[in-house]
Amino acid sequence: MSALARPAAGTPQADAAWDRRRVFLANLRSVGGRAYPRVHGLFREPSWVLFEILLPFLTTSAFVFVYRALQAPPQYVGFVVLGGAMTAFWLNVIWMMAAQLYWEKDQGNLELYFASPVDMMSVLFGMAVGGLIMSSTRAAVVLAVGAVVYGVTFTVDQWGLLLLVFFLTLAALYGLGMMLSSLFVLWGREAWHLTQLLQEPVYFVSGLNFPVGRLGFLGALAVAIIPLAVGLDAMRQLAFAGALGPTGTPPPEIEALILVAMAVAFTWMARVMLRILERLAREKGRLSARWR
Amino acid sequence: MTARATAIPAAFDPGRAEGRGSADTARGFVTAALLGWRMEANWTDPLLFFIYSVAKPVASALILVFMLEVIAGPGARDLRSFVIVGSALWAFVMSGMAGLAWSVLDDRERYRMLKYVYVSPSDFLVLLVGRGVARIAIGAMGALIVLAVGVVFLGLRFDPGAVDWAMLGLVLLVGLAAIVALGVILAAVCMQTRQESWSYPEAVAGALFLLVGAVFPLAVLPLPAQAAGLALPLTWWLEGVRMALFPGGRSAIGGEGSLWTAWTGSAAPDGGAIVGTLLATSLMITLVAAAAFRVSERRAKDRGLIDRTTGS
Repeated sequence: MSALARPAAGTPQADAAWDRRRVFLANLRSVGGRAYPRVHGLFREPSWVLFEILLPFLTTSAFVFVYRALQAPPQYVGFVVLGGAMTAFWLNVIWMMAAQLYWEKDQGNLELYFASPVDMMSVLFGMAVGGLIMSSTRAAVVLAVGAVVYGVTFTVDQWGLLLLVFFLTLAALYGLGMMLSSLFVLWGREAWHLTQLLQEPVYFVSGLNFPVGRLGFLGALAVAIIPLAVGLDAMRQLAFAGALGPTGTPPPEIEALILVAMAVAFTWMARVMLRILERLAREKGRLSARWR
Repeated sequence: MTARATAIPAAFDPGRAEGRGSADTARGFVTAALLGWRMEANWTDPLLFFIYSVAKPVASALILVFMLEVIAGPGARDLRSFVIVGSALWAFVMSGMAGLAWSVLDDRERYRMLKYVYVSPSDFLVLLVGRGVARIAIGAMGALIVLAVGVVFLGLRFDPGAVDWAMLGLVLLVGLAAIVALGVILAAVCMQTRQESWSYPEAVAGALFLLVGAVFPLAVLPLPAQAAGLALPLTWWLEGVRMALFPGGRSAIGGEGSLWTAWTGSAAPDGGAIVGTLLATSLMITLVAAAAFRVSERRAKDRGLIDRTTGS
C-alpha cells in the first residue's frame, strides 16, 4: 500500500464525510475561485474600460445636460451623478448575478457547480465579490469624474451613516441578486427578457434621476421592496443634507433599517429558494436543459 | 485517372458552395430574419412578449418626463413633446444597434453556431443584418407605443394632417440604413471581444444619446461636443423625423448658443439641409461600417475568434 492509500476512507460515504474545517476551507476556496475570473478578466480585456466605464459615464452626462437645459438647481446634477454611480451595481446585480446561473446553464457549467462538493451559496458569494470589484471601479469613476467635471458639491453631515447606508445597499442589492439567480435556474429565454425589464422600469420607479418621493404611492412601494430605491434615497438625503427640503420619504436612519431587513431577508430567501428551485429543476430535468 | 479528374468537376455544383447570386442572398436574408424573429418572440405568449417589449422604452420616456415635471412643472409642454419624441425614437436606435451585435454574441457564445453560419454559402454580413431585423421591428413597435402613450396620456399634440409624409418616409429609410451601419460596426467590435460585450451596444447608444440632441438641444453642450453631434447621422435623422411629424416644433440643432446658428446664421436647419446632411453622413458611416466589418472579419479568422467562447 502506498502513502496515498487512506485506510479510514474505505467507502465513498466515508470519503464524502468532511469535517467542518475542510468544508469551510473548500467553500472559502470556491468563493475565491468564482471571484477570480471576474477580477482577472478586468486585466485581460482592456476594452471594458471604454465600454464599461467611459461610455456609461457619457450616458450619465446626458441626464446631467437634461437638467442643465432645464436650468435645474445644482443638487439635481448631483442626483444624476449619484444615480449613475449606483446603476453600475444594479446592472452588475441583474446581469452578472441574477442572470448568471442561466448563462452558466447555457454554457454547461451549472451541472458542474451542483455536482461539486461546495455550497452553491459560496459560488454565488464568489460571483458577488468579483462583481462588486468590477462595479466599484465603474461607480468610483462616475462619481469622481462626475463630481469634478460637473462641479457637484456634496454636503455630508453624517459620514458614518452615509458609509453604512452604502454598504447596506450593496448587501441588500447582492442579496437580491442571489435570490433572483436561483429563480433564473428554472427559467429559459425569459430570463434574458426579464433582465431587460429590470433596467429602465426599475430606474423609473426607483427615482434614479429625481426624488423618488415625487412618484407618490409607486415611490413608497419601491422604497419598501427595491434596495436601489431605498438606498439611493437615503444616500441622497445624506449626501445633500438640507438641500432637498421635505422628500416625502422616511429619514435615512429608518431607510438604513429597511436596508438591513432587506439584506437579511433576501439572503435568507436566496438560500431557501436555491434549495427549493434546485430540487424542482432536478425533478423537471432543467438543470442541464440549454437554450430553452 | 484523367477521366475521374474530369468527372468530379462535372458533378460538382459550385452554386452550393458559392451561392447563386441575388436570389440566394435574398433567401438567406429572409431565413435569418425569420429565425431572428422566432428567437425573439416564440419564448412566450404574444401579450407577455408585447409587455416586455414596450416596458423598457415607455419607462425610459417616463424617467425624462418626470425629470421635466420635477423641475419645470406641467408648463413645459413644448419641451415635453421634444423629450417624448426623442425618447421614442431612441428606443428604435438602441434596438437597431444592439440587434446585430447580439446576433454575433448569441451565435458564438450561447448557441455556438457562428462557425457553421460563417462557413455556409450565404454572405455572413447579410445573415447578420437579417438576424438584426427582428430587433429593429421590436424597436419600431416600442417607438410607436411610446408615441401613442405620449399622445394619449402625456399631452403630446399630434395632427396626422400636418405630417410631411414624404419627408418622414425618406428620413426613416435613410436613418434606418445609418442605424444598421452603426450596428454593423458594433458587430465588428463584438467579434473581437468576449462574452461581456452584451452591454457594449447599450453603452455606445448611451454615449451617442449625449451627442445627438435626442432629449435636449445641442446648444447646451460644449462646442466640440456639438461639432461631434453634427457629424453624426442620428442627429439629422432625429431632427428630420421631428420636423416631419411635428412641423414647427423645437429644433435640437439650431437656436441660441448653438454651433449651427453661429456657423450659418439661421435659427434652425431647413428640410433640404436636414435631408442632404443625413444622406451625406449616412453614406459616410455606411462606408466606415463596411470597412470595419471586413477588417474585423479578417482578424477574427486569423486569430480563431469565430468559434471562441468565453466566460466570467
